[in-house]
Amino acid sequence: MNILLCCAAGMSTSLLVTKMEKAAAEIGFECKIWAESADAVKNHIDSADVLLLGPQVRYLLGNMKKLGGEKGIPVDSINPVHYGTCNGAEVLKFARKLVEG
Amino acid sequence: MNKFLAFLENRFMPFAAKLAAQKHLSALKDGIILTMPLIIIGSVFLIFGYLPIPGYADFMARVFGEHWLTKLSYPVDATFNMMGLIAAFGIAYRLAEKYGIDAITSGAISLAAFLLATPFTVPFTPEGASAAVDVAGAIPVALMGSKGLFVAMVISMLSTEIYRWIVQRDIVIKMPDGVPPAVSKSFVALIPGFVVILVVWLIRLLIEYLHAKGFFEAASIHDIIGTVLGGPLGVLGSSLIGSIIAYMLIMMLWSAGLHGTNIVGGVMNPIWLSNTDENRIAFQAGKELPNIFTSQFFEIFINIGGTGATFGLVILMLFWAKSKQMKELGKLSAGPGTFMINEPVIFGTPIVMNPLLVIPFFLTPIVLIVTTYLAMSTGLVARPAGIAIPWTTPPLIGGYLATGGHLSGAIMQLVNIVIAFFLYLPFFKLWDKMKKKEEESAGQEQQ
Repeated sequence: MNILLCCAAGMSTSLLVTKMEKAAAEIGFECKIWAESADAVKNHIDSADVLLLGPQVRYLLGNMKKLGGEKGIPVDSINPVHYGTCNGAEVLKFARKLVEG
Repeated sequence: MNKFLAFLENRFMPFAAKLAAQKHLSALKDGIILTMPLIIIGSVFLIFGYLPIPGYADFMARVFGEHWLTKLSYPVDATFNMMGLIAAFGIAYRLAEKYGIDAITSGAISLAAFLLATPFTVPFTPEGASAAVDVAGAIPVALMGSKGLFVAMVISMLSTEIYRWIVQRDIVIKMPDGVPPAVSKSFVALIPGFVVILVVWLIRLLIEYLHAKGFFEAASIHDIIGTVLGGPLGVLGSSLIGSIIAYMLIMMLWSAGLHGTNIVGGVMNPIWLSNTDENRIAFQAGKELPNIFTSQFFEIFINIGGTGATFGLVILMLFWAKSKQMKELGKLSAGPGTFMINEPVIFGTPIVMNPLLVIPFFLTPIVLIVTTYLAMSTGLVARPAGIAIPWTTPPLIGGYLATGGHLSGAIMQLVNIVIAFFLYLPFFKLWDKMKKKEEESAGQEQQ
């Protein structure tokens, strides 16, 4: 599964990426996770199965959902508390729920 | 208070969404970002040109010859001094991209239009002469930098709007089938490009005509935009009140958990960036620095540890937290906080939508703007010298480098961390106590 995360500059989300990768490795779940800035999302969305937004850019959710709709992938914003505490396991679970239903 | 925060959320979300969807504003922001890596690279050369070590200049002159500083400044001229030129391309490119029209062509046309708006003459005072004469046949470097930034903003949008208007109405030269697509694509730009050049050319001719007849003091598009746009915007961005208002808006957005810096930045960044460059020019010339409110003033001195100056709060969590949650969060946020990133603090504590912690979060930057402004305007602390270091530069190092190597810059950052520490202290104690109680009662239930 390819999970794309996005925030303003892609910096704080990259912290979450490492935690999510660790959580994925622990349960042996195959996935690729990476973080991009909001502007760069359009260049990366083609290779993603799900797009998650940092809560600080959730004002972009409308636009991003539209973009995700065109590509047929789910888009949502990350729970602020999970985001702040860098809870990789919970965010990974959330991403899987969005994709696998 | 909760009602107020709900109000913020309900009011600001649509506002922020609208602002983010506004094509011109976001093109402006994204286009100017194109200049940032270059400006930071130029700053490296700037720092090495003016290291405040006694005997450094003499040493460099001995090793590299007496023109060492001029030669070291070549990259500065090609980066800082081309800010407007690069923005003219970048803004048009990003705007065209958002409209879904040929971005690189729009960028190139805008670049030509920007140069067309610029008179190719440079004032030169010959030896023995009292007044400067205009020398033709040279592109004025001064107008390619921050002085031309506002012109670049206007021209790039005007040119891309004309381009889009014509292309979307399908007024283009069509090639018969069988002509390679790349060839016919190059002809698509012909008519809109021609109209853009024609319009800018006519505007320039009109201004020059009116100037020659004595109706206008302004002699060029640069003069007009400088007075009409640069003047008022400069007042807004260079004054204490203007900066406080901008930061109040940024902090309100962040209080609702929205990236305020990014949302308001589209409007304020060009102003603060051109203030940075004005200081850089004065710094290189050895003159007094004209501005206090540059981009670095906010990035380095106000947002210490991230927006809201949360570095002080992270120190509280690390050393004075009683609750497990706050201790853990302190450990988690110390690393990012050192590099001015604080999303873990903002969302993890949480500060967002937290009626207690939103108070110091909102107040601290405003207080720091005032104290730093006072310290710099009285000359107690060196002003930011127009050196653009990355905003992720850790505290103390950042203040030292941004002021062109003044210890007072590092001390100012330290003082601001202490101020932030004490402003957060009472609110953090209360919050920590609540968390501790929560943990204890949860522990008892389990037993």
